[in-house]
Amino acid sequence: MLSLEFILLVISLLILISIFLTKLSDNFGVPSLVLFLVMGMIAGSDGPGQIEFNDYELTKSIGLIALVFILFSGGLDTKWKSVKTVFWSGLSLSTLGVVMVTISVGFFCNYFFGFGLIESFLLGAIISSTDVAAVFSTLRAKNTRLKGCVRPLLELESGSNDPMAIFLTVLIIEAIISGVPSTFSAVLSLIMQFGIGGIIAVISGKLMVKLFNKLKFGNDSLYVVFAIAFALLIYAITTLLKGSGMLAVYISAIIIGNSDFIQKRSTIRFFEGIALLSQIVMFLALGLLSDPSELLPVTSTGLIISGFLIFAARPISVFISLIKSKFSIKEKFFLSWVGLKGAVPIILSTFPIIYGIQGGYNIFNLVFFITLSSALLQGWSIPLMAKVFKLEEPEPEEEIIPIKMSSRVQINKEMIDLIIPYKSEIIGKPLADISLPEESLIVLITRNGEYVVPSGSTTLEEGDTLLVLVNKENVNEVKQKLMRVHH
Amino acid sequence: MKISEILKEDIIEVNLEARDKTDVINKMVDLAEKSGNIIDIDEVRKCVFDRERLVSTGVGKGFAIPHGKSDYIKDVVAAFATLKEPVDFDSIDNEKVSFVFLLVGKDALLNVHIKLLSRISRLMNKDEFRDKLLVAKKKSEILKLFKDEEQQYIEI
Repeated sequence: MLSLEFILLVISLLILISIFLTKLSDNFGVPSLVLFLVMGMIAGSDGPGQIEFNDYELTKSIGLIALVFILFSGGLDTKWKSVKTVFWSGLSLSTLGVVMVTISVGFFCNYFFGFGLIESFLLGAIISSTDVAAVFSTLRAKNTRLKGCVRPLLELESGSNDPMAIFLTVLIIEAIISGVPSTFSAVLSLIMQFGIGGIIAVISGKLMVKLFNKLKFGNDSLYVVFAIAFALLIYAITTLLKGSGMLAVYISAIIIGNSDFIQKRSTIRFFEGIALLSQIVMFLALGLLSDPSELLPVTSTGLIISGFLIFAARPISVFISLIKSKFSIKEKFFLSWVGLKGAVPIILSTFPIIYGIQGGYNIFNLVFFITLSSALLQGWSIPLMAKVFKLEEPEPEEEIIPIKMSSRVQINKEMIDLIIPYKSEIIGKPLADISLPEESLIVLITRNGEYVVPSGSTTLEEGDTLLVLVNKENVNEVKQKLMRVHH
Repeated sequence: MKISEILKEDIIEVNLEARDKTDVINKMVDLAEKSGNIIDIDEVRKCVFDRERLVSTGVGKGFAIPHGKSDYIKDVVAAFATLKEPVDFDSIDNEKVSFVFLLVGKDALLNVHIKLLSRISRLMNKDEFRDKLLVAKKKSEILKLFKDEEQQYIEI
C-alpha cells in the first residue's frame, strides 16, 4: 500500500508539471488537453512513470464530478445576451447534430469495418460531443478573435451537447444489455431527461440567486463553498430524479451567471479555477488509465474513423442542423472544422467497460485515439482556418473611459448621458453655480469629441454630452436643472 | 473615426415623411438597418426608445439625435435624415424637428459613443450648416456637407 504522502507527492507534481505545460501549449497552439493526456500517459503504467492505474469506475466518477464543475463554470461565464441570438441554432446542433454524428459514424463503422451495428452506434454516440475548452484555449493562445455569432454558437453547442451525448450513450448501452427499447420509450425517456433537467435547472438557478442575496453569511468565503455544494446538489438531485444532471447544471449556471447577486465576481473567478483544476485532474486520470501500447493496434482504424468524423460526419451534421440558420457557407465550414473532441468522449468510453459490454476496451482505445488525433489536427489549425474563412476579427478597442459604472445589486445609482440642449439656460455658468440635487454628479463632459474634466469653474457649451451619476430618485430634478432652455 | 466616415449614402434620407415622433424613430432605425450592422433590430429599437423616455433628444433648433447603447449591433449604427414636414419631437425648446441623426453605439464602447454624440451635436449647432443641409436635395450632397464641415475637427 502506498503512503498517502507519496500519492499526494505524485499528484501534486503531476498537476504542477501540467500547469507549466500550458505555457508550452500557448506557444505551439496545441490544445492543453493533449498535453495533460500525454502527461498522464507518460506517468502511467506503459510510460517511464510506471504508475499502475486501472480503475475505470473511479476514473468515470472523477470525470463526472470534473464535468459538473466545468459545465457549471462554463454556464456562469455564458452571456445570455450573446447566446440568445444563436439559441435555436445551438439547440439544433446539440440535438439533431449529435444524432447525425452518431448515425453517420455508426453506419460508416458498420459498413467499412464490419463492426456490429449497435456497437457502431455506441461508438458514434460516444464521440459525438464537442469540447469548448479545447477550442477556446487555442484561440486565446493565438490571440484570434472570431467575427459575428460563431463564438457564442460554439460556446452554446459545446456546453449543451454533452447531455445529449451522455443520454444517447446510456440509451444504446441499455439497448445492448436489455434489448432495443421501443421508439416510444426512447422518446419518453428523452423528454423525461431534458424536461426534468430543464425544470430543475430553472428552479435551482433562481433559488440559488435568491439564497445568495438573502442569506448574509458572516464569512465571505462561505459563498463559494455554498456554490460548490449547490452545483453538486443540482447534479445529484436531477440525476436521481431521472433527469439530465449535466443539462441542469449547465442551464442553472447560465441563469445564475446572468443574474445579479452578491459576490458574483469572486464566485465566477473561483469556479474558473475549479474548472481548470478539474480539467487537469480529469485528463491526467484519463491519460493514466490508458495504455499507450494498446493504442498502437488501433492506429489505422482510429485514423480512418477520425478522418471520416472530421471530413464527413461533422460537416454533414453542421450543414443539416444549420440548414435554416442565417450562418454563411464559410461560417458553416469553419464550424465543421472546430468540432474538437475533448474530455466527454473519453469519460463516456469508460461506460461500456464498466457495464461489461463486449469490445469495451476496444472502444475505449479507439475513442482515446480519435480524441487525441482530432485535438491535434484540428486544434493547432483553428487559428489558420479562421484566417482561411476570413472569420478573424481585430482586437476590439479597449474601453478607455475615465470612469466606468455598472449597476450592482440594490444600488440605486445610475449613469445617464445627457446632451446640453442648444439655447440652454446654463450655458456660460460655472458648474459650481448649478446646484444639482444631492447624490448627483457630472463625472465627465465630452465636447466635440474630446473629454473635458469637470471642475467647479468649468462652464458648459451647447451640445456638450455629459455623463451624470444620479440617484434614480433624483433623475427628474437633475433633468430640470440641466435641460432648461431660453424660449 | 469621423461622422462622415460612418455615414453612407444608403443610410441617408432626404425629405423623409413621418407622422410623429414614434414614426420618425421607427423609420430611422429601419433606415439604419441598411448598414448591415444591426444584429437584432427590435432590441436596437427598444434601446433608442428607452433612452428617449429619460429625456427627449430633441436638443433644439429643429434637430434631434435619438441614440442608445446596445449589444445587438456589430459596429456603430447610424442614420441621418432631413424631414419633409417638421415633426413634434417633445424637444426641449418646443420647436418642431427637421433633422434627425440616429446613433447607436456598442454597450462596451461607451467612450466612442459619447464622443460621437458630442461631435454630432456640435456640428448641428451651426446655423449655416443646418441651412445648407436643409436645401440639399441629394444624399451625396449631404454626405459631402458632413465631410467638409468635419474637416477642421480631429479624428475621434
